[in-house]
Amino acid sequence: MKKYGLYPGCLMPTEQYSYELSLRETLPLLDVELVDIPDFSCCGEPLKSVNKMMTIYLSARNLALAEKHNLDLLVPCPMCHLALSECKRILTGNEEIHEKITATLESEHLKYTGKTNLFHTVDLLYDVIGVDEIKKHVKTPFKELKTAVHYGCHLIRPTDVGRPVNAENPQKIEAILKAIGLKPIDYAQKLDCCGAPLLVNHPETSLTKTGQKLQAVQNQGFELFVDVCPWCHKMFDSRQTKAGETVATKLQVPVVYLTQLLGVALGADIEKLGFNLNQSPIEKLLLK
Amino acid sequence: MSIRDLTSMAEAQGLQRKEINERLKKLQNDVSDYCYQCAKCTSGCEAHKLLELEPHKIVALLKKGLIDELVNADVIWTCMSCLKCFERCPQKVAPVEILYALKNLAVANGKQIPGQYTAILQSVLSLGLIQDIQTVTTKENITIKRDDLGLPLLSKPTDSATFQTAIMKLAIEKI
Repeated sequence: MKKYGLYPGCLMPTEQYSYELSLRETLPLLDVELVDIPDFSCCGEPLKSVNKMMTIYLSARNLALAEKHNLDLLVPCPMCHLALSECKRILTGNEEIHEKITATLESEHLKYTGKTNLFHTVDLLYDVIGVDEIKKHVKTPFKELKTAVHYGCHLIRPTDVGRPVNAENPQKIEAILKAIGLKPIDYAQKLDCCGAPLLVNHPETSLTKTGQKLQAVQNQGFELFVDVCPWCHKMFDSRQTKAGETVATKLQVPVVYLTQLLGVALGADIEKLGFNLNQSPIEKLLLK
Repeated sequence: MSIRDLTSMAEAQGLQRKEINERLKKLQNDVSDYCYQCAKCTSGCEAHKLLELEPHKIVALLKKGLIDELVNADVIWTCMSCLKCFERCPQKVAPVEILYALKNLAVANGKQIPGQYTAILQSVLSLGLIQDIQTVTTKENITIKRDDLGLPLLSKPTDSATFQTAIMKLAIEKI
């Protein structure tokens, strides 16, 4: 059994429970054990606009905690994944910042060396476990539903920092979805942003962004919309009705986490995958 | 206020420009000098259509040294950090990092921070997380708590006094 520390971040463990539930339920079926580590804090990404040094410190602090437990980390939130990856890159390349951060970490009795490897849900499934292995575990494959995939900006960009998926033509989620019987199809708006980072100071515009993407998805006749980011999911699922109002459309796109679908296909208890917490019309799915 | 209004009478601030370029180098991005105004960043910018952000113009103004004007403009706060400009810049200039530098400078200069940033900052300082609501409402209007779902205890800083002291020390630091 492979063992990873789970870095939950802020959003998933405080409101995006269908992601956390389905992760914890599904990964053990693929021989992955998740270990909870206490004392984690925010990754710092939401504070980048305020003070980037603080972002780097918060990330380094979380990485140092993982080191203390001698575990590589599964980081299911792409925002957190980017903050932690960027922190590793900056601390490797700049001694001055490294020194400042190390000195402050000492006050919290922590030490950063940079040995922690980071994984996101997608590369854990695709690169570590592998599509062939997933195929072997499939118990109830889906019917070929026309599926739209949304990766989330922070998961795919910027390549220079080292991202788990290709920036301009990401296909890893598609491969996983095909393995469980679905029919993912590329669409022109696939790489568009969900709008969530603007929630802080331009909430209206941020919802318009969400609405525009979902409207395009709905107009192209997709039966299902899959994401892997708690922020994107908050926009596309939890706020779908409101997003529809900004583009004057009644949106009815079923939005689910990749791990929820995987759980169903691998034969996990459907009651434990958090489907009751999805706000988008997923009943449409269950009929199929 | 629009940048054009602010820059009409402006004079360049070389020192601040140097400071920003130093910062960008530390973060391993290239500096504004290398920008040749191809506007590839603006053509893909997610905030362009809705909020009129034009990253290539921001870079041009930085190149001219009009830092105060940029720091005082509202438009620097419209970036969605989708990172397309960082990914696609043929000169590796990363306009998104320039915007972060300008926003950090605005905060350090005591400018009023728009929106909820202050609330997020306070929340991270006091809880270690951006929020600690732990309850959700389902479509059927049922309120569910984290505990009800059988999930383990939320991971957050246990020694919050030490955590706060460390963060506050860093809050006055610049890159």
